[in-house]
Amino acid sequence: MADSQGNDAQNGQPKGQYSGPRAIDPVEEHSHDDDPDFVTRTRFLSGVAVAGGAVLTAAILVPIVGFAVSDAVKNPTDHWVDIGPMSNFPDGQTTSIAVSGLSQWSDARAFVRNKGGQLIAMWNRCAHLGCPVEYFKGGDNFVCPCHGGAYDSLGLVVGGPPPRPLDRFNVKVVNSGGQPVGGVGNVHGSWLTAAVGPTDHLLIGSPFSISESQQAYSLHDPGEPVTGVLSNLYPFS
Amino acid sequence: MSTTDIGPKGPATQAGETVVNYVDDRTAATTGIGWFLKRNIPGETSWFQTLGFAAMAVFGLQAVTGIVLAMYYKPEPTTAYASIQDITNHVTWGWLVRGMHKWGASAMIILVFLHMARVFIFGSYKYPRELTWVTGALLLIMTMFMGLTGYLLVWDQKAYWATVVAMNITASAPIIGPYIADILRGGTTFTSDSLSRFYAIHMLVIPGGIATFIGLHLFLVSKLGISEPPWSKRSMRARRAEEAAARAAARERGPQGRREVTVDPAPQTLTVEAGQ
Repeated sequence: MADSQGNDAQNGQPKGQYSGPRAIDPVEEHSHDDDPDFVTRTRFLSGVAVAGGAVLTAAILVPIVGFAVSDAVKNPTDHWVDIGPMSNFPDGQTTSIAVSGLSQWSDARAFVRNKGGQLIAMWNRCAHLGCPVEYFKGGDNFVCPCHGGAYDSLGLVVGGPPPRPLDRFNVKVVNSGGQPVGGVGNVHGSWLTAAVGPTDHLLIGSPFSISESQQAYSLHDPGEPVTGVLSNLYPFS
Repeated sequence: MSTTDIGPKGPATQAGETVVNYVDDRTAATTGIGWFLKRNIPGETSWFQTLGFAAMAVFGLQAVTGIVLAMYYKPEPTTAYASIQDITNHVTWGWLVRGMHKWGASAMIILVFLHMARVFIFGSYKYPRELTWVTGALLLIMTMFMGLTGYLLVWDQKAYWATVVAMNITASAPIIGPYIADILRGGTTFTSDSLSRFYAIHMLVIPGGIATFIGLHLFLVSKLGISEPPWSKRSMRARRAEEAAARAAARERGPQGRREVTVDPAPQTLTVEAGQ
């Protein structure tokens, strides 16, 4: 902008009487500094530095987090475990037995109930918060020592805080040749004992959860109901 | 100044000043330490404002005793309980150091809660100290987490089943609860991996987080200064001045010139920030 003397005050030229051409005339230089859409060299190199840093950070963090987390959230692959001949699980009784090697990580204790011509195996993990339940022969029931959850002979809740019955294991009976003897009973995971002899072996497999009507569901953590409104809180179980 | 300032300085004083100056020229440490420690504080600062430092001091105690306990503790399911018995019964002063760590844990929780209660009752969490409160809340969570993870390491029946129950409570949180529990215990059930994992979290993950957030917390405390209690003489004076101003303004507003107006002696419109 020119002032009254014809000098260009904005370019920092001194004011004075002289208004002719100057030795150094301000030349309009084209600059991209104020153009937000133009990628200058500085802007490009900054972007490269940030992106490169992000890639390097991810290259370190992704393996670390994956190493720490992924195996933990993986569903265990279950195996069939031979827990001995049927003579160890006499008819009309509920037998407690420790089971090793069910999955890669864990051991468990199972209650094998051989009654009414049908075998079922219940996990001793309380469905409330996971304490070990105890079997009482006199009442033919299970009681949890932590918060008083009580279950009947089939592991169905009769009292206390548990939101669902005791979880069960799949069971099957095989003969010495490894062939199944008998067949699946009238509820999921059970086994009919009509054709089973005392030397046939009992196998325990993957655990699952059941509802009060002995409907099978995928294995849930303790504290999670499998039916009703609150079961929707655990969509990924 | 006393007469000892007269005359040449002794060689010890000169050597000390040389060292201090050498460091200070290269770090400006005295400026930083002065900024951090030599702050103005309200006149009515009391012992209540020392609870935060007390909690931090107990954290230091926990860190030091935890480091030496780790020299004897063996985080394996077969050896953990036995190694703790060994620390308690056989290692020299093991009973003392383990006791300091155990009771220090409870003391830290208590002090953290008392500190939080002080901040709440004094209203110190208000502007501009909201983020100091937020970092403090994160420190509270991490302190509780230290209690949870440390409790398991004893590896007796009570510790084991209490932690199993705690993990299952975590797992019963909606939607992501099962995943958080799986990550914490290193699998879908509680195993020997869980002990190593809790040990690592207790030893390395949380202490790093606590140290970082204590640093942020202290920076904010130093930058913003500490607040005075809302019943301090200064805030009461400000409150009285506000009331007097309200009375004067009411007199000026009167339609008939000067007029006596009664002002509620405890107005609800007090807006002076007590902590400023």
